[in-house]
Amino acid sequence: MAITRRRFLQGMGATGLAAGLASCSHPQPGQPATGRPARPILVIVNIDGGYDWLNVMPPLSGPNRTLYESARPTLAVPTTGADDLGGGMGLNRDFAGMFELAQLGRVAWFPGIGMANANLSHFVATDLWGQGSSAAAAGNTGWLGRYADGAFAPAGDVLRGITVTGDVPLMLRGSSRSFVSITGASGYVYPSWLRSNGRLPATWEPQLLENGFTAAVQEGVASGDPAQLAAATAERLFLDAQNDFGVDGTLAARTPAALYPGDPGHPIQGVSTGLARQFKLIAQMIAGGIPGEVFFTRLGGWDTHSNQLTDHPRLMRALGGSIRSFYEDLSLLQTPDGNAGERTMILAWSEFGRRVPENNGGTDHGTAGLAFCVGRGVKGGVYSPYPDLTRLDRNNNMVETVDYRRLYGTVLQGWLGRDQAATDALLGARYDALGFL
Amino acid sequence: MANLTAKQSWTADDAAHLGRRAGFGLSPEAASALAAQPIAGAVAAWVDGTGLDATAFDGVWADRADPVWLGPVGRDTSIPGAVDVPAIQAPHRYLVDGADSWRNDLGRAQASWMFRMQYHPHAFAERMALFLHNLFATGHEKVQSTALMLGQIATLRRSATDLSAFEDLLVAVSKDPAMALWLDSVRNRADGSNVPNENYAREVMELYSLGADNGYSQDDITRLALALSGWSFTVSEGQRISSPARPTSFTASGATFRLYDGGALPAGTYRWDNLGAPATTVPNRHVNATRGAITFLEQAFDVSQVPAGAPAGWVAGEDALRSIVRNRDPATSRRPRCAQFLARRILTHFVTARFTAQDLADVAARIEALDFDLRDVLVELFQSEYFHAPENRFALVEGPISWVARAARALCMPLAEADAATPRGFPAWAQVAPSFDAAGMRLLDPAGPNGWKEDAAWMNSTTARTRTRLAAALALGETFTQGSGAGSTYQLFPTAVDGAGGWFPSPPADQAAVYDRLVALLQPAPIAASVRDAWLSSLWPTGSTFVWDGTGTGQRKARQLAFLVLCSPSGQRY
Repeated sequence: MAITRRRFLQGMGATGLAAGLASCSHPQPGQPATGRPARPILVIVNIDGGYDWLNVMPPLSGPNRTLYESARPTLAVPTTGADDLGGGMGLNRDFAGMFELAQLGRVAWFPGIGMANANLSHFVATDLWGQGSSAAAAGNTGWLGRYADGAFAPAGDVLRGITVTGDVPLMLRGSSRSFVSITGASGYVYPSWLRSNGRLPATWEPQLLENGFTAAVQEGVASGDPAQLAAATAERLFLDAQNDFGVDGTLAARTPAALYPGDPGHPIQGVSTGLARQFKLIAQMIAGGIPGEVFFTRLGGWDTHSNQLTDHPRLMRALGGSIRSFYEDLSLLQTPDGNAGERTMILAWSEFGRRVPENNGGTDHGTAGLAFCVGRGVKGGVYSPYPDLTRLDRNNNMVETVDYRRLYGTVLQGWLGRDQAATDALLGARYDALGFL
Repeated sequence: MANLTAKQSWTADDAAHLGRRAGFGLSPEAASALAAQPIAGAVAAWVDGTGLDATAFDGVWADRADPVWLGPVGRDTSIPGAVDVPAIQAPHRYLVDGADSWRNDLGRAQASWMFRMQYHPHAFAERMALFLHNLFATGHEKVQSTALMLGQIATLRRSATDLSAFEDLLVAVSKDPAMALWLDSVRNRADGSNVPNENYAREVMELYSLGADNGYSQDDITRLALALSGWSFTVSEGQRISSPARPTSFTASGATFRLYDGGALPAGTYRWDNLGAPATTVPNRHVNATRGAITFLEQAFDVSQVPAGAPAGWVAGEDALRSIVRNRDPATSRRPRCAQFLARRILTHFVTARFTAQDLADVAARIEALDFDLRDVLVELFQSEYFHAPENRFALVEGPISWVARAARALCMPLAEADAATPRGFPAWAQVAPSFDAAGMRLLDPAGPNGWKEDAAWMNSTTARTRTRLAAALALGETFTQGSGAGSTYQLFPTAVDGAGGWFPSPPADQAAVYDRLVALLQPAPIAASVRDAWLSSLWPTGSTFVWDGTGTGQRKARQLAFLVLCSPSGQRY
């Protein structure tokens, strides 16, 4: 059965939520937030490439609109292409499903979020967002890695921090541990290939091989050699994680409770399904009892220097539609620790926004971004000033209006339950909370 | 400080170190033979490929490199002239370039390069291409052409021979069609009042020559984008390829750099964005004289035209790009910064990630002194006491592509023996290429223009897990079946424990000899005696009799031991 836009809304109603418009610049939820759960889950969405959020949340009126239209003669989103969030802000209709979530008061928006003196580099900005600290000493650790250093048991808790990407970004690296990377629901055993197909001669001895591998890894993690330690630490994470990952390294199959973009019958087709796949895997892990507390996901492709008119709507549909489906899926998933939808908050961020004036068919690197949090524990609204487009910097970029570490501080305290002192220590300074939790 | 003076003599261990870092490993026998030659001449010959004969490689490459069958391609019935493309059920080359470019199969393109890394005699050229593929990281997902991707790799390979001057290499990459698509040079137009697309201008300084925040400003980026506006490419009739099943759908098997300056085109030439019909001219996309009078890195240029006296082949704007490396004016030169940027990349890939600031400065100074000639820099480095110092031996975590290529060179039969095996062919790479993403390096398709982080960043739980899968394929004799009947089951990687081209030229006397030979072949970092003993005692329990039989227990144990060595932490270092 096809999910239509109307059925989306009905689906929201079926979960007991009423509609109410979140207004700008101050929290005004459509539905009371559910509060911090006993076992919270944080899902990070890395909108990778620096997304053109100005076309996601375009100005609809006032001087900002005038400036926007003149700077973007071919790329400006018409006012008819956006839903009205209030306060002169719109939400692109291609950002599928997000307006409905906003109406329900489930989205906290942070336009203009960023850092002072941004240098417009993807990689420098991504590292700074990852480090999330005022302290240079943060060096090669990220804010969630440092959180895991303190919150997770030093020998154990392997599956509390999981990235479903194949890499482990700086954001997830601590000084004493790193997140585990798991990209599939099966075959997570050693030696994975041996147990997952029959193409090898049946002459090997898997237990012997596992014991031999374990012996080498145990010796390696005590090594003083940095290269040996790096290899052994990663291998031990794999070995430790497999012990608690389903049966023989395979989770029980799960049919999502909601259709995701790309699924037969979902109205959104022909877009990247990478994020949907990651969300489904996380939901399967939660349903399977994996004790993940922080998950990391990524949707790339946002570096729209060119071809933006074609690429950007697809990207928005993939991002918004997947978040909308994930929200719905989790709302219908019960865990021993409560409703998964109430336990989960999504934090979506991108390393920067893009240049206000377009080039020929695209936009170049910019500065201030748009982050947002989605969840039933969120007090919906807009929590930072929309940048003044009539007062751009000398490179025609927006001036940041809220420091990204304020968002981190709010999440560490209000969602992950760190106290003020611990939060300050993790971020290297005191950052005022943003009040959406 | 880095002691860059040349070693006066060297050992087989030193030669093996060179083989691992500057190629994809050497057998113990080959390392001994190399070490018997004076180091200076041997290193230069290694780099230059002196005396190597690729005849055998070329012969296999031409029609037997890939035995994996390809399915038929049904014709598009809506297109007149379309025909069905029959299945290919015999060994063939990888079918990713030339007339087969329309197939555009990334996995086969990855496989074709892996086959070269495994078997091409000039290993250094492949190593350089791999090193530079990470530096000038370009991705198939956006380029959408295996032929153009492999064309870029061929250009990078030339850094080992006739394109070793970094300035020329930088220009060649900037004019490369795959790069032009990847970072939007083809869409950078500054004619009239058009706002230039600054994607490439930013990354050529941030990622390819200077490093972030290292001596340039946003204004420099914008101005370089003006200089490089209109840098695009054309396709000749011979390079225009259509699928027989879709004859109105075209792709390019190759392309030629062309400044889009409004000029005329030879007959039978196509613009990159319209392969359906030949063009007589290219549009003008380049900056005009008014906006082309720029100050870039504190120097004045008129990038609207070729500078007076420029060598043949230079195009408008090229002088600004070249100035990053070329400008020697002490007041404005970026050579020291560029040299330091290159030194960092070279050290991290070839020597150690734990260099000191002084080491970096020392190597950067030599890069400047050798006028940025990568060949000369690396020949000097590979002979140096610093490169061979004990603390730099096994100091790096090896990247997954290097790791698997080196393991394949160590464990697989030599090319001639493998090519004589039945059934004949090399199915491995096309089969395991889909694992490269989870191994941490999706060859020819990085996620971004910054490539992959090296050393410890190669390792996480997913990449470690994937290496066990690749190690199993290599060491444990995985087979691959396609089709039915005799000759349809291949050994994925052609390996033999003993016999012709096998791991053991002569039967080992005991389990210790098995271990020693495998370590000599695979060359892991030192493995603790306790680990070795645990492995040997589990494979050959106390009281059991050591048996080396042709087909059974002894070989099975040797394969499992090779697997353990490959998977161990020590086995990830090189």
